[in-house]
Amino acid sequence: MQDIEQMRWAILIGTLAMLMMAFFVIAFVLFYQKRRFAEEKKLSEIEKNHGRLLLDTALHSEENERRRIAQDLHDDIGTMLSLTKLSLNQLNKAMTDRDEKEELFMKKAQSLVEETILHVRRITRELVPTTLERFGLTEAIYEFIHKLAEGNTLSISFQPGTEELPRVGQKIELAVYRIMQELVNNAIKHANCTKIDVILEMNNQFIGLQVADNGIGFDPVTIKEQHLTGLGLLGIESRLAILHGTVQYSKSGNGGSTAKILIPIDTEILSGKPEPLHPFRRERVNI
Amino acid sequence: MLDKYLLFFTHDILANSTVIVTLLPIFIIIYRKAYVDPTFRLLLIYLIIKLVLDVMMFHFATFRINNLMLYNISVVVRYTLLSGMFLYKFENPLLKKIIIPLSIAFIIFSSWDIWISNPNIAHINEHRIVKYATTLEALLMILWTLIYFYELIRSLKIPSLLTFPFFWVCSGLLVYYSSLIFISPALNYSMRWETMFAIGYLDRVLYMFDIIIMLLFSLGTWVFSARFYARH
Ligand SMILES: Nc1ncnc2c1ncn2[C@@H]1O[C@H](COP(=O)(O)OP(=O)(O)O)[C@@H](O)[C@H]1O
Ligand SMILES: [Mg+2]
Repeated sequence: MQDIEQMRWAILIGTLAMLMMAFFVIAFVLFYQKRRFAEEKKLSEIEKNHGRLLLDTALHSEENERRRIAQDLHDDIGTMLSLTKLSLNQLNKAMTDRDEKEELFMKKAQSLVEETILHVRRITRELVPTTLERFGLTEAIYEFIHKLAEGNTLSISFQPGTEELPRVGQKIELAVYRIMQELVNNAIKHANCTKIDVILEMNNQFIGLQVADNGIGFDPVTIKEQHLTGLGLLGIESRLAILHGTVQYSKSGNGGSTAKILIPIDTEILSGKPEPLHPFRRERVNI
Repeated sequence: MLDKYLLFFTHDILANSTVIVTLLPIFIIIYRKAYVDPTFRLLLIYLIIKLVLDVMMFHFATFRINNLMLYNISVVVRYTLLSGMFLYKFENPLLKKIIIPLSIAFIIFSSWDIWISNPNIAHINEHRIVKYATTLEALLMILWTLIYFYELIRSLKIPSLLTFPFFWVCSGLLVYYSSLIFISPALNYSMRWETMFAIGYLDRVLYMFDIIIMLLFSLGTWVFSARFYARH
């Protein structure tokens, strides 16, 4: 009898130990899984931020490179061209007796140099949007559109929402400007449209850009699926990703497409170190 | 007749309510359509067979017929079907491969166990519970659940275990077999016509965990539906 009682106790204690083990295992799995997930989430957050940083740097160095090229073009080629023009003028004066043929070559050389100077000026200005830096988004967009509308049957309208748009950070301004450039270029290149409307809106939290055309329209989803996305749409997305912005494409009523951009004006991003944006105030980079 | 059943039922309510509790997960699986998942389909099949066997055992017990043969059969069915659930859940291909051969081996082993535990197999009143098969079953099932938990932690696929149905099923299995592993070897000696070893209050533990595992199965099925419908 005594033995059986002891045996029962042994079995009971063994069972209790097993049950404790079971509960411990279950609790451990629950908590461990939870912690691992929290860690994983943190890690992916860090990775995402890191990706954003990389993208930011890449775009940043792209802008810097453009600026460098513009400076070199302006300072080296531009100066040399001016000197060439001067020499040609002097030569023109020095050559007193010449026949008609020589006269013609002279004129041709002069006008070629003149034209090249104009081209270089245009290219440098396109590489670095100086108007944007000096006078802000509204002026820069006006200028861009004005130049495009010249000698084009296309009508492009621009509505800056409020009279006086406040200046926001250069990073955001530049992003909005480049995105606007790409969207308008796309409309001209792909949409077959006759009219483009650009609308800029801003309050103290968001900056909104809308580019609408009356062309053939497109579906961004099918374009993405068929891998037709060029650098343009991708560039827009990466610029927006850095600034936490969003883009939304839709079909407008008259058949064309409308792109709506929304970028939060985040003081944190703006407080990033401001880049000196004066292309022609030269700081020599010694390599 | 009915009053005989009723009398037998009330004479040990805890033991006999294990029969009724089985209905709960069955109903929830059907009601929430959890059987679309092959794992839960297998669970449903097991629960229905268990219910049938339990009712038969209850009937035999009421009329004082030895029902331990049915118990032995239920052990074999229980292991085969419950371990079969892991066939759909394991990710390791090797583990997937050994589950079915092990089930077959287990069936052979338990048949042998029934044979040696019952020297007088033709005599129904002399039937006894298997000696080793339940212990082996418990060991294997605990092993499977622990391996599954390990895979679960390693793969990090399920964000919230509390709403993951099979987690509850596994927890039920782990708790149930943990309670069974030491008590079951004693059953062979206690459940005899001339009892050699009365396990006394220990059988309460068995009945309690019989109910607890059914409740955990029900809980798992309940969250299954919530998750299933949330995704569609
Ligand atoms: N405004 C638009 N109207 C019609 N199709 C467009 C428009 N904008 C973009 N697309 C389509 O999206 C594609 C991807 O554009 P984008 O990424 O800018 O590349 P790219 O301009 O270099 O071809 C284009 O090839 C064009 O088919
Ligand atoms: Mg483009």
